Amino acid sequence: MVAVDLPLPRRQGETEAASVPAWVRVFDAGLACCAVEVSAALRRCAGQLPGDAVVNVLVVAGTVTDKLAPLVLAAYQDLPAPRRVLSFGACSNSGGPYWDSYCVTKGADQLIPVDVYVPGCPPRPEALIHGLRLLLSAAGDRP
Amino acid sequence: MTGGQLLGEAARRLPGARCAAEEGTVTIDVPREEWLAALAFARDTAGCDFFDWLTAVDEQEKGLAVVVHLYSIEDRRHLLVRTLVPPDDPVLPTATPLFRGAAWAERETHEMFGVVFNGHPGLAPLLLPDGFEGHPLRKDFPLVTRAAQDWPGAREPGERAAPARPRRRLVPPGVPEGWSPP
Amino acid sequence: MTEPPALDLDTGHLPPRSRGVIALLEENCTVCMLCARECPDWCIYIESHKQTVPAPDSGRPRVRNVLDRFAIDFSLCMYCGICIEACPYDALFWSPEFGYPETGIAGLTHERDRLRDWMQTVPPPPAHDPGAPPPREAQAAGPGAGPAGQAG
Repeated sequence: MVAVDLPLPRRQGETEAASVPAWVRVFDAGLACCAVEVSAALRRCAGQLPGDAVVNVLVVAGTVTDKLAPLVLAAYQDLPAPRRVLSFGACSNSGGPYWDSYCVTKGADQLIPVDVYVPGCPPRPEALIHGLRLLLSAAGDRP
Repeated sequence: MTGGQLLGEAARRLPGARCAAEEGTVTIDVPREEWLAALAFARDTAGCDFFDWLTAVDEQEKGLAVVVHLYSIEDRRHLLVRTLVPPDDPVLPTATPLFRGAAWAERETHEMFGVVFNGHPGLAPLLLPDGFEGHPLRKDFPLVTRAAQDWPGAREPGERAAPARPRRRLVPPGVPEGWSPP
Repeated sequence: MTEPPALDLDTGHLPPRSRGVIALLEENCTVCMLCARECPDWCIYIESHKQTVPAPDSGRPRVRNVLDRFAIDFSLCMYCGICIEACPYDALFWSPEFGYPETGIAGLTHERDRLRDWMQTVPPPPAHDPGAPPPREAQAAGPGAGPAGQAG
């Protein structure tokens, strides 16, 4: 798992004075194919954190098999506060195309509380940025 | 060695084998007793130095077919070696003395199909979680989730809700006819 | 090593038939249920009822299906496009929009109104290749039925 500090890119014409915090620390739990898209997004965005305050985001990207489920739970429990979870892709949203499998957990939210769901199979790398922006705008002051 | 030479050698050394060749792939079907002899033939005589995969096919009443895909890098030839184990006695000697890479493939085939590989260094489950019961890739292991969940396609066009008189309902693909959850 | 292209949050640069979200044109839907049956994920939920339409003159009344509910659960959808290919009446379309995350998983099930809103983002179909044979509809209409190679 990689921790990447991310300045979020802005749309053309969007000003800097937005209430959404601009930096987030991403922990990518890349379990399957969605990991490639998350890596593609993080690769183009990574930067050096200018300040202190960050939000730690666990991005669950890929199919959560029954065998790996305890490790996903442990990863969430080891994440320091303030922590959020972003579910990336159909498999970690709901089991996706493998909902009927004999060994797939039907969604990461069966194990850990998920804050944002990003749909797609796999979602585009830009969809991760949309998801992170929604997560930060809805974050509030939860620990 | 050419394809013709290979077929000739196979006929000589593996008396029980049936060989077929098409488009760069040779398929050798052997009885269970000649399994290791066939793999040794493939590796030493036919030059198949690359072990690709080992798996099984559930042929139901006939038994379980165990298939190995080997490849000769020099001759650029694919080789499929196949045998059949009976359903009540799914035992086969392990291929690990000949191909070390077969170790994990045999573990997976064991947990998914129930084939026992004699002499394997450690036939523990590989992919399934602890406490999983059954052999999932066998044909008589139903996809319980598919049968238990309501299929959105089971409704007829214009049907408002479940029909008052249950007539023959459409069964979704993947569920055996007449199967219902216990 | 070449630099990767920068992330582009808009959809204008995406090629035709990009798979972002599925849109429904309800007027074309006859509730044949083919999309719901062919969907490998079982993520299309359709409810309907039959309605008898009286004939204007002395003709016999017709029965038609009326759509009550058409929902696609995008938390399950794997964007294979089988529903769009299976639909015989061109009621489902691809749209390249991809930015629709949700904070609750129920929000990922899009109902009829939201699927209709996605229709506004469906791009026009790309032009036929120059030199392509004329479409079957034009051939069936007879000779002199319009040139090939023009967008719809």
